[in-house]
Amino acid sequence: MRILLVEDDELLGAGIEDALTRARYAVEWVRSGPLALAALEQGGFDALVLDLGLPGMDGLQVLRRARASGSLTPALILSARDSVAQRVAGLDAGADDYLVKPFELDELLARVRALERRLRGAARNVLEHGRLRLDPVSLRVTHDGEPVALQRREFMLLHKLLAAPGQVLTRSQLEEALYGWDGNVESNALDVHVHNLRRKLYPGVIRTVRGVGYVADPPA
Amino acid sequence: MKPRSTRALLLGGSIAVLLAVLGAAAWLGYDGSADEADELFDARLATSARVLAVLAATQPPGDGRGPLVVSLPAPLEAAPHDEAGPLGHYYETKIAFQLIDSGGRVLMRSASAPEAAYAPLEPGFSTQRHGGRDWRVFSLRSGEHWVQAAERDDVRGELSAKLALAAVVPVIAGIPLVALLLALLLGYGLAPLAELARRIARRQPDSLAPIELARSTAEIAPVVQALNGLLARVQSAIARERRFTADAAHELRTPLAALKIHAQNAARAVSDAERRASLERMLAGLERAICLVEQMLALSRATAAAPVREPVSLREAVDDALDDALPALKERGVKLSLAADPPVGDFMVRGERDKLACLVRNLVDNAARYSPAGSSVRVELASVAGATRLAVCDEGPGIAPALRERVFESYYRIPGAPGDGSGLGLAIVREIASQHDASVAIETGDGGRGTRVNVLFRS
Repeated sequence: MRILLVEDDELLGAGIEDALTRARYAVEWVRSGPLALAALEQGGFDALVLDLGLPGMDGLQVLRRARASGSLTPALILSARDSVAQRVAGLDAGADDYLVKPFELDELLARVRALERRLRGAARNVLEHGRLRLDPVSLRVTHDGEPVALQRREFMLLHKLLAAPGQVLTRSQLEEALYGWDGNVESNALDVHVHNLRRKLYPGVIRTVRGVGYVADPPA
Repeated sequence: MKPRSTRALLLGGSIAVLLAVLGAAAWLGYDGSADEADELFDARLATSARVLAVLAATQPPGDGRGPLVVSLPAPLEAAPHDEAGPLGHYYETKIAFQLIDSGGRVLMRSASAPEAAYAPLEPGFSTQRHGGRDWRVFSLRSGEHWVQAAERDDVRGELSAKLALAAVVPVIAGIPLVALLLALLLGYGLAPLAELARRIARRQPDSLAPIELARSTAEIAPVVQALNGLLARVQSAIARERRFTADAAHELRTPLAALKIHAQNAARAVSDAERRASLERMLAGLERAICLVEQMLALSRATAAAPVREPVSLREAVDDALDDALPALKERGVKLSLAADPPVGDFMVRGERDKLACLVRNLVDNAARYSPAGSSVRVELASVAGATRLAVCDEGPGIAPALRERVFESYYRIPGAPGDGSGLGLAIVREIASQHDASVAIETGDGGRGTRVNVLFRS
């Protein structure tokens, strides 16, 4: 899962980035309004965590513009502005959720998971796929009830594929979900992770679509 | 002690003065009318004596067998005292005469007169005691005879007293009326004061709206005006405090959120490296929160109280500030220079040394914060045309002309500015400067780069 973090405060941004990364999200962090808008237009994010007081362009304006140009990325506003009117304005500008600073880390992560559920129209956090079960809260994967030890990137890859069953994801979408913009991606790193996942789970869990990417077919 | 009632004081005072004036008027009236009555009565006594003398000379009375007594009709003795009747007047009993021959024998007398001579046979007026009463006697010599006409003294006193009383009584009777009228007028005049007291008593502590009276007077209006002035000042002080608290709560949110998230990251770190990284960031966050709180308090202190106005050397204030700022400058690799014109001057201004040092420290901190390593910050002191100028110059990125006013607002930071300043430094500078009647202006730095902040203290 890939999250766009927009926060101009270095220390707070670093903290949120750390927390999201440790919860196995790929985080893109930008520090100004115009950069946020550019990133949203490029797309490929599963969620947006947005501060409001930003240099260049206010967060609300970023959100309105992104919504006007058709961005559907679920958005969580993170702000020190705590009045009811301000929260209403944030939600009406296109945010799906609003969290006032300072906040509990657990609450931030829970709300980010809620954004994911909204994205895939699900009511539960846990992703189930045949005999597979992925829990984004405990970061555990089981196969027929048996725990499967996955590397960080393997978990992220499986999460991304299971969140959109039956949907073919391109190589670049998957690489971005694993590494973000600035990761040094070996050309065959993705294939290595897919290979390892098939080996640890069962070969049929991920199907290769030649020349496009990969898909987790819905279980029969 | 129970406070004195103004109303009772005014009322009591007015009536006392009124009574004193009345008393004086009555006494003067009595005295004056007594004098006039004396003159009149004396003249009449003399005239009566003269008429008797003429009569005695032409028709000497008596037959040598004893004095001739002129008696009054009997009913007159019992007549009412203040009514004239067909026979005469009761007061005739208080009037007497005697005709005396040269040997001192009484030839003729009124019934009310004694049998012996009233007074020694000497011409003129005298007062004699007779029958337990004072009598006014006029003695007149006419040839062989003496005539003595007399009148009881109390007749005269009665007349004067009645005259004086007639003047004073109606006024005394009017005193209760005057007192009542005074009380009503005072009540009416003091009603706005009572209304003011009621309105103040009914106030809720959070209601600081100005007081408006339905009716005011020249005496109450200044009180209301002064009170409303005080209310306005209290209100603006409270508003300032509330704004400060609200601003502080808002501005602390982001630093506290950062602290919290790093603390939570440290708590759930899965490796020592992760934990150490989070703790280091937490420390940086704490450092920043402490700086912010200190700046908030500095601003609050600068705003809260007017500075002491005593002669203080700006040079000493600069020295104080630079002592504090030097370690940070050194750490950033920024050089510091101090220039003074004239080189040996104290640059005296009126104000408070600590606050002025705080002003300089904030300017130098700001300059250092945005200065590239290896550049220099210059502090200048100069005496210029009846003023003292303090300037702090840096070689940093400068401040765009459009933002040179906004940067003085509390918590305002130029978007995208590096570092973690509080946005309060220049607000503190401006507050302290305005308290010292000094102006602050931002210019482009020397040689067209960096920033120059001028603080001009008018002497």
